[in-house]
Amino acid sequence: MSEETLLTEMPSLSKLYINAAAAAAKSKLLRAQPVVALPSRAVEVRGVQANLAKVTEFAHLMGEPARDVLPSGYLHALVFPVAMSVMVQEDFPLPLLGMIHLRNQVEQLAPVLFTDKLTVRAWARDLSGHRSGTQVQLVSEIHTADGTELLWRGISTYLAKGVFLPGLDKPTAAPMREDFVPPAPTAEWRLGVDTGRAYAAVSGDFNPIHLSVLTAKALGLRRSIAHGMYAASRVLATVPSSKPHSFSWDISFDSPIFLPATVALEVLDRESEDGLWLGSEFTAWNARSTRRFFSGTVTAD
Amino acid sequence: MTNHSAAENQHSVDTKHGAKVASAPTSRAALRKAVVVGGNRIPFARSGGAYSHSSNQDMLTAALDGLVARFGLADEEIGEVAAGAVLKHSRDFNLTREAVLGSALSATTPAYDLQQACATGMEAVIGLSNKIKLGQIDSAIAGGVDSASDAPIAVSEGLRAILLDLNRAKTMGQKAKIISRIRPKDLSPDAPSTGEPRTGLSMGEHQALTTAQWKISREAQDELALASHKNLAAAYDNHFFDDLITPFRGLNRDSNLRADTSMEKLAKLKPAFGKSLGDAATMTAGNSTPLTDGAATVLLASEEWATARDLPILADIVDGEAAAVDFVHGKDGLLMAPAFAVPRLLARNGLTLADFDYFEIHEAFAGTVLSTLAAWEDEEFSKTRLGLDDAFGSIDRTKLNVNGSSLAAGHPFAATGGRLVASLAKMLHERGQVDGRPARGLISVCAAGGQSVVIIMEGR
Repeated sequence: MSEETLLTEMPSLSKLYINAAAAAAKSKLLRAQPVVALPSRAVEVRGVQANLAKVTEFAHLMGEPARDVLPSGYLHALVFPVAMSVMVQEDFPLPLLGMIHLRNQVEQLAPVLFTDKLTVRAWARDLSGHRSGTQVQLVSEIHTADGTELLWRGISTYLAKGVFLPGLDKPTAAPMREDFVPPAPTAEWRLGVDTGRAYAAVSGDFNPIHLSVLTAKALGLRRSIAHGMYAASRVLATVPSSKPHSFSWDISFDSPIFLPATVALEVLDRESEDGLWLGSEFTAWNARSTRRFFSGTVTAD
Repeated sequence: MTNHSAAENQHSVDTKHGAKVASAPTSRAALRKAVVVGGNRIPFARSGGAYSHSSNQDMLTAALDGLVARFGLADEEIGEVAAGAVLKHSRDFNLTREAVLGSALSATTPAYDLQQACATGMEAVIGLSNKIKLGQIDSAIAGGVDSASDAPIAVSEGLRAILLDLNRAKTMGQKAKIISRIRPKDLSPDAPSTGEPRTGLSMGEHQALTTAQWKISREAQDELALASHKNLAAAYDNHFFDDLITPFRGLNRDSNLRADTSMEKLAKLKPAFGKSLGDAATMTAGNSTPLTDGAATVLLASEEWATARDLPILADIVDGEAAAVDFVHGKDGLLMAPAFAVPRLLARNGLTLADFDYFEIHEAFAGTVLSTLAAWEDEEFSKTRLGLDDAFGSIDRTKLNVNGSSLAAGHPFAATGGRLVASLAKMLHERGQVDGRPARGLISVCAAGGQSVVIIMEGR
């Protein structure tokens, strides 16, 4: 990173969404020439600390006991405003609103406590073509306050659907869609229409596509959809990932979970010969249509 | 020295797969015996039926009063009473003590509540028997009660949080601000469900997966259900329950009993669970237990206490064992813990399945019983999961649930243990000696949360 923007406090997500909406309107008005390079600056915030009340609500929403160690999914919510700040920068080449979550890869290198003061950095990388638009990766890192130790790193891949930037190659054909035959579920989630609002309340992510049918329709979706990180955090709540000191997880989203939904889920654990948890593989699908929602892995390091 | 953890620390035996079996401490022979004097329950009623408006406390008190009347315990101070309910309102924090205070027992009888889902009654029997064996008490009443009709309903989590905040608020301004947080959705109530909290699947859906995994046929399940109804009806006809049941609210036999059911009638029922399995769906309302209301109690004592009062001694509580399985991601079926508990208990007591005259395997679903039996007969399962050299074994089906079980009688969760222990004690007593040894019986109960409690009893 050659340059860095240091923010004095955690940015407000709601203001960021309003800025993003304003930027979208402005670019429509001005028909600005698209920029094809990512800003090289990272955004950094120091002295970040979890909100204990929110962490508690977050854990309870996921159905897990609220511990002093922060859930790995909550850490994503904690750093998300910093990643958003990267994406609302004037020279960021993609519109933030309406971007679709494709994948999250997280390395949890050490436990983070709610009392820890943290330094959070985020930057964008790997702007590349996608068959239906342009994708980009947002890297977020959580360090100890003095910046010496990396505790958590998350890479989120987003797709700006329908946005094609000049000079970016795009894969010509869609990859073959493998036939998905749903296995016997090990769990079932009944997600009500308020699932998006409930997660927004504990994570601070009030992206309109999650809040209501009306706000989702305004962004071109037929109904509101569940947050991808809600799904990921709920899966994490059921695997023994809190037990090892460090672990990693990876989730890919195949199709949006339109609310309300009945999500069928299979989690398969891998164990060593002496019964130690090595990792889990998970797949979720629509219990009615059998369309796959997401899949991924959790791995003990 | 029957304390389980102490026994495990000092006398544990490692099997080759690392499964620990607590072995009998050498001093156990020195302990005195805990015996079953008798039992009393009220008939079990399908939910929404005869006991719709009876509370847990009503039913437990009725069962206790019947026990007191049967054994002349009026004004008697019992060593301790332990019982519980699975569906219990928080205001019933002292349910058992309140039932004792309302019963004919002496008001100086101590009591405590316990809860281990469907194994509540079984755990009450083991805990109290151990106290008797240790000489801490001379007499005890174990029991359980449940009402699916009069189930507690909670306010929503949102309203609960608001009401608690309101309670903490000091000024009118704070209170008004908190009240303004109430939204219409906060007013919808939160009723208990039979869903497993960690999976969101109901018990029936869990068992449907296990039933399919062990390839248990629809016909085999219906046969077991039919036998349960036929056996229970015959037991009533033979007056088996005359000294085990006290009528309540106009009911004098279990209202779920269908003496005239048949394979044809059972075959007509549509699958109720595991519908996503398509043709492999085999579980119906006929081969699954219905939601039930009821209460059951068992009188336990030392031999001296029973003899001094000229009370009958039906059977010994020999030993008990709890087990649990990791069902959350489907490593084992939710209700398969008995498949592990029984082999451990038998190993500790140097017994095999062939050494028993009666098996009482709780029929949560017909598929539960048949999956457990299939696992024990499976060489691969027995070797890899139970750490045995060969298949654990099979049971003589003519010894299984001979007076009917939960499919016919119904299953008020916490009351089932008391029903089983009292009935088996009477059966063992009536059977007397077998091949020069006391008649021996095994009870196995599975429970929510992937748990199980099992007991060995011997007749007198």
